Amino acid sequence: MIKIETSLANLKKDIAAFYKPELHHFMVMNAVDMGETMEIQWFFCDYAHPCETTCFYTIINPAEEIPSIRNIVVSAWVAEAELVDLMNIKVENTDKGFVLEPDFESGPLRKKK
Amino acid sequence: MKLASFRKKSPWILHYNAGGCNGCDIEILACLAPKYDIERFGMINTGNPKQSDILLVTGPVTKRSRERLVEIYDQMPEPKVVISCGACASTGGVFRGMYNCEGGIDQFIPVDVYVCGCGTRPEQIIDGVVQALGILEKKTKELEESVRLSKKPVQEGRQLNRRNIADEIKPLVS
Amino acid sequence: MGKQYEIPVGAQHIALLEPLHFKFTTENEKIINTDANVYYVHRGIELACCSKFKFRQVSFVVGRVCGLCSISHTTAYSQVAEKLLKIEIPRRAKYLRMLIIELDRIHSHLLCLSHVAENSGFEALFMKTMQYREFSMELLEAVCGNRIQYDFSIVGGVSRDLKPQVADSIISRLKTFMPQLDELMDIYKHNWTLSLKNKGVGAITKQQAMELNLVGPFARAAGLAVDVRNETEDLLPWKEVGFEMVTETAGDVYSRNMIRLRELYVSIRIVNNIINGLPEGDLITETKAFPEGEATVRLEAPRGELFYYAKGNKTQVLERLKIKAPTFSNVAGMVKGFEGNEYGSAPAIIASYDPCLSCTAR
Repeated sequence: MIKIETSLANLKKDIAAFYKPELHHFMVMNAVDMGETMEIQWFFCDYAHPCETTCFYTIINPAEEIPSIRNIVVSAWVAEAELVDLMNIKVENTDKGFVLEPDFESGPLRKKK
Repeated sequence: MKLASFRKKSPWILHYNAGGCNGCDIEILACLAPKYDIERFGMINTGNPKQSDILLVTGPVTKRSRERLVEIYDQMPEPKVVISCGACASTGGVFRGMYNCEGGIDQFIPVDVYVCGCGTRPEQIIDGVVQALGILEKKTKELEESVRLSKKPVQEGRQLNRRNIADEIKPLVS
Repeated sequence: MGKQYEIPVGAQHIALLEPLHFKFTTENEKIINTDANVYYVHRGIELACCSKFKFRQVSFVVGRVCGLCSISHTTAYSQVAEKLLKIEIPRRAKYLRMLIIELDRIHSHLLCLSHVAENSGFEALFMKTMQYREFSMELLEAVCGNRIQYDFSIVGGVSRDLKPQVADSIISRLKTFMPQLDELMDIYKHNWTLSLKNKGVGAITKQQAMELNLVGPFARAAGLAVDVRNETEDLLPWKEVGFEMVTETAGDVYSRNMIRLRELYVSIRIVNNIINGLPEGDLITETKAFPEGEATVRLEAPRGELFYYAKGNKTQVLERLKIKAPTFSNVAGMVKGFEGNEYGSAPAIIASYDPCLSCTAR
């Protein structure tokens, strides 16, 4: 697994420079709660032989809004909508209520204080 | 009316997955297939709650499917029998205590037959359904027992007043 | 131009095995827009795996993510845990894992084919395919002891050995299945009635498949050669046992059927090769280590690429486990595939996607 660090400001630029639909496919978006901060990961994988998994990651404050990459990767809306509900974070142009009921408060996968 | 005898010989099945892992659902599908073939008991899988007599439910009830489950149960006409298929439908199973699970369908609707196992074997499902047939017959008899109305409707002007007759009906003896 | 109507399908529907809700916006019977709600079966397994269960128990819990491909989930989890523990499993265990994955693929593909036939309105073919499918369930029961939840892979290896008489019965049952598979191939390929409902319906082009990041038979039917079995060699040696990539070009329901039928031939060959060349050795590698660091694993489930991410912190309980199921990647493509088709074809298209919502929602 290749891990590339990025930041919220550079995220769209980095992924647009990396992602080619005929070479890679977007797999999933993940978040790991580390107490005060949170690590957000975007996983890509190659089609061609070595098939290395590439992971873009950035460490954020859970209150920050994450830019959406659905202009670059069309199918990313499913992963983004899922993460918004499960982790209780904010993603650009994404509403709550895709996974859990709209009245379900707070992300269940967040660590309890 | 031959409805009673038809119902006894050919109960129709409605299947609903309330959030299970699909394992029990494919076993229900295998029951319909030639090897186990529950059609020889006259059972047909139907998609319409208004035509069905037996409700087969699999899965621990998730929060989103719980209202659908109760609604489907409400739409089924009496008499009806509910079978819970598999460990997680009966008690919650391995999913008991997870944040989006309710743990067992008997918290929401009355269950008549519990079928155990993870996943349920087709033989067990057939056994449960055959037991349900007996319960269905008993429920039908209770339902169709004639009840004499002791109080007659009252003539009020041009209309017959049928109010408060139900008060006189005695409870059924089970 | 006609008036637009909204038609809901689900959550309970005769054509659906699982709760799944589609809202079709139609105009003159043509579907112009689709809204999908796929999270009816969200249970919260990821959290339970990281809090309630110890890491050796998790392989039994993730099997309950999905009853159809439970062996893929348990194997993928076992592999990711072995990466965290930094152990190598015996060669015989690898071969036995591949054997069960391929037998599982046979039963899953036949179930999907029968479901497509039923939803296309061909009840007799549904019965026939289900009848032929039973042999794979019996074989799985003979090897693993249960018909659907196998719990065969555990962290470090496999839980049961393959007995010689069971191996013989697998070979002989596959031999009797071959003419039946030829018969099914003939019906699915040449039946005129079925072709009306399947050919040119629900088509996805290769370009769309790339842009929407599709996986599994769905993508391979559109001509996109994506199969994890073709790529990774370190975890399970697929190429040693005769894996071969199968692709079609049309991308419609018919070519998805063809992909599944042709993959059955490949699976049968792999099973035969595994049993003939099964290496001797232990079944399990014992270790007393605790999971540490992070690791990812990709595995080809019957529906496509399965992805596991795990992070350990040197305790009995994992810090994070992320499951990406094949249907999760295909949700965007599923919505796209309905566009421009008639509403009457929708059940057959849904079945041909072979959606596994309990995988997607977890």
